[in-house]
Amino acid sequence: MPEEPVSRKIYRWLLKLYPAGFRETYAGPMEQEFREELTESTGAWALALLWIRLLIDLAVTIPAQVAREFAQDARHTFLRWAVRPWQTACAILALAIGIGANMGVFSVVNALLLSSLPFRQPERLASFQLFFPPHDSPKRFHEWRKQTAFLDDAALWETGDANLGGADKWQRARVAQTSWNFFDLLGVHPVLGRTFAPGEDVEGNGWGPAGPNAVAVISYGLWQSLFGGDRGVLGATIRIDGHALTVIGVAPPGFDYPQKASIWKPAAYSEGNYGFTTIGRLKDGVSWNQARSLSSAEAGRLSPSRETFANLKPPVVTPLRDELAGPTKKASLVLMGGAVLILLIACLNVANLLTARTADRQVELSIRSALGASRARLAQQLLSECLLLALAGGTVGTLVAYAVTSVAAQLQPAALATQTYSMFNVQVIGFAIATMLLSGFLFGILPALYARRVHEFGTRSSSDGRGSRRLRESLVALQVMLTMVLVTASISLGRAFLDLMRAERGFDRTGVVTAMVSLEGSRHDTKTKRLAYFQEVLSRLRRLPGVQVASTTQFLPLDANGFVGGRFSLDGRMASMNSMFVPVMQNYFRAMGNRLLAGREFTEADMHGNTNMAIVSDVFAREFGQPADLIGRKLSAGKSSWTIIGVVKGMDYMAADAQTSQVFYPSRSPGWPRTAVVVRVAGRPGDRLAMIRDTIRLVDPQIPLFDVKTLEQRMADEFARPQFYKTAVMCFAAFAFVLAIFGLYSIVSYSVARATHAMGVRMALGARPASLRASLLFKGLLPVAQGVILGVAGTLLSGKLLESLVEGAKSVNATACVAEILFVAVVAAAAIWVATRPIARLDVMEIIRTE
Amino acid sequence: MSRIILHDNPKSLLPLSPTIFHILLSLGGGERHGYAIKREIAARTEGKLKLGSGVLYGSISKMLEWGLIEETDERPDPHLDDERRRYYRITNLGRRAAQAEAARMRELVERAAETFGVRKHA
Repeated sequence: MPEEPVSRKIYRWLLKLYPAGFRETYAGPMEQEFREELTESTGAWALALLWIRLLIDLAVTIPAQVAREFAQDARHTFLRWAVRPWQTACAILALAIGIGANMGVFSVVNALLLSSLPFRQPERLASFQLFFPPHDSPKRFHEWRKQTAFLDDAALWETGDANLGGADKWQRARVAQTSWNFFDLLGVHPVLGRTFAPGEDVEGNGWGPAGPNAVAVISYGLWQSLFGGDRGVLGATIRIDGHALTVIGVAPPGFDYPQKASIWKPAAYSEGNYGFTTIGRLKDGVSWNQARSLSSAEAGRLSPSRETFANLKPPVVTPLRDELAGPTKKASLVLMGGAVLILLIACLNVANLLTARTADRQVELSIRSALGASRARLAQQLLSECLLLALAGGTVGTLVAYAVTSVAAQLQPAALATQTYSMFNVQVIGFAIATMLLSGFLFGILPALYARRVHEFGTRSSSDGRGSRRLRESLVALQVMLTMVLVTASISLGRAFLDLMRAERGFDRTGVVTAMVSLEGSRHDTKTKRLAYFQEVLSRLRRLPGVQVASTTQFLPLDANGFVGGRFSLDGRMASMNSMFVPVMQNYFRAMGNRLLAGREFTEADMHGNTNMAIVSDVFAREFGQPADLIGRKLSAGKSSWTIIGVVKGMDYMAADAQTSQVFYPSRSPGWPRTAVVVRVAGRPGDRLAMIRDTIRLVDPQIPLFDVKTLEQRMADEFARPQFYKTAVMCFAAFAFVLAIFGLYSIVSYSVARATHAMGVRMALGARPASLRASLLFKGLLPVAQGVILGVAGTLLSGKLLESLVEGAKSVNATACVAEILFVAVVAAAAIWVATRPIARLDVMEIIRTE
Repeated sequence: MSRIILHDNPKSLLPLSPTIFHILLSLGGGERHGYAIKREIAARTEGKLKLGSGVLYGSISKMLEWGLIEETDERPDPHLDDERRRYYRITNLGRRAAQAEAARMRELVERAAETFGVRKHA
């Protein structure tokens, strides 16, 4: 029969799917029977029937046999674990941290970078930075978006915080002003009512004029909390900063784009407002590269608007998902790298433990082998042990993963509510299973290979363990190498973080309490009333015990999330850079602990006068001469001008962009849209929070007062994310270090335990315990030295990578590198010395008697 | 690495699966190799029970583990037979288990007869 050999080949191949024990015993007779059945089946129909029966048989019995042998191996494994519970617990814990950290970080990476956004065709959505389409009137914007060469559609949005509600009960809410087509562009449909219609975005300022523009779509959450999910919400009125809006729709649950907005209203366009962000949908067939070059050309064509910004960089087009992931993208990748290293180290450590155990079991394995257990069956059993270990590690690891995702959700929240760091989705569960299986194989492969060797030699005489020792030493060297890479990364990130925290920012963060006040929509609706309110607040605060000075500012340093300002000129000469325009009240610089370099700061009288005066930062002044030279000179922008009365040390207003220039002017109409009250106190500012809050509230209990915090708390919030990365990588490094030292300790104490007899004999022959221990110390330090050499190479490579991924991270210098090597060497030496302690306690007489 | 679990009391193994009972029944007639067992069962059941090799050897390995059967080294002339074949014979425990299963089934049949009456085959 011509098909016979092919059929037999296929059947023989299928038989390989049975587990080793079953296969080795029964594959022979099964194949023989198949041959006979094949001979008996004549004709295509009989052959087809035979194959159908065979395939059903295999499909039923292969899983059953795999489960049966795995259960046998599991019983055996649990018995072995019970004999060495601590060792097993250590291995499971190491794997739990390794696998758990990977699962946790992966769920973050998955949510931010891999999962699709909840919009229509999200992969074609683009976000633009430093790109300003015409937006002074709705007509011009909508004409522009219809004729672009590379976009199907484009929309604008701008967000701001507002007081939502009435005088008696208010809450802060984020409001997004958007072009009318915003929802259509994203493909988001309301659960109730409608979204915006053409003509509802208009020309105007602030929250826009009354009429068709005064409508709002509210978030699902707000619908539930404000209206109890009442379907009659359409047509209801909500007030933002006292401005009435009619609710026309409810957004779907979880929709909070952009920037966690909860209210959307049609935009009010005004000339000179560069706060709008553009998003767009690429035309079919336009690649991202084409989009980049086309948008550059478009930005050039729209140049009149760009000329206002002399130092503007070229526009940036990014996929919306990347834009939303923002700075967390690179940081998450760094963490993922760290987590993978940790898992590798944990696997090496467990492989080390298991190889030692397998070496210990040489006798048992040899006997089993002699009793007929095949090489494959022994290897299968060892692999099952490893898989069980990985499974146990993975199960405990879910707790670690849960902790990682909780911390990440708190410190690095995703841009959209729908991007939750959940572990319960297909990708994360698949990744977890793959990680467990892969790590099981990874640390199982060495013991399994070792079992093969035992089988090959098959006798007890080969059990000198030299091969195993060499293998384990290589594992320790690898661990030391990976640990060095992680420790260096943590030093590098730690230093970057310290630099960030210690940076001279032009103000003294200690001893300051800050509070936000918003007069929008309140009864303090004129310039005079607003100023009077704040003067009253400051005067009451100044009378409080422990308060040294109090003032207000429109923007706190590091808190500016937008840019208000432009290019100023001094006596007709244009400055080369933009300056931020910051309104402040009297004594602001004293309250912030800033240094006055020349002239004076604003007084209370300046607040009430009409003279246009300004204080400039040294960054601005630098271009025009010494600080003192600028006093009395004329600063101008457009038709307005100010007389410079002082020069101060510049402050960092944006965390990401130090060395920006500022122009301060008297705040004569504070409270819009909000003003920060700044109070310098004696003693611990945390103790004064309640007192200051109550004092401000008493001036007018109906005024929204929020975010009462010390300046230090604000900075901690601002830097929570880098601190999280630094702490995470440091934890990884510490864990890796402990594992490496533990691995080293176990290998040395294992060789001491094995060589007790030989040591005893050598001592009987006159060797001193100290010299024996010293020789072991030398031997033990060899793999450490190898690891350190490899580690330095790895550090150089990873340092460059880290520099490109983390802002401010620098490769460690030679001194730090030498210190790290010394530290590793000293701790390793101490671990080895401790592990050789039993030698000092050896009873030579006892050993000789036994002999 | 198959284990042998020795059962003193064959009743603890009851009820036996139909496959195991049929294999015991075949081996009751003397030593057989796997393929012979398969063919005999098919013949006895008039082709209604055609065991696949996986099911047959899965049951055999379980029966070896329980001590119901054992492998025998006695082989017919190697010229007449393939040396890859494995031969089995029933053990004392196997015989007792088969008896116990038969008794159990008889009891069941009697109870059914009492309840539903006995219908003769046409």
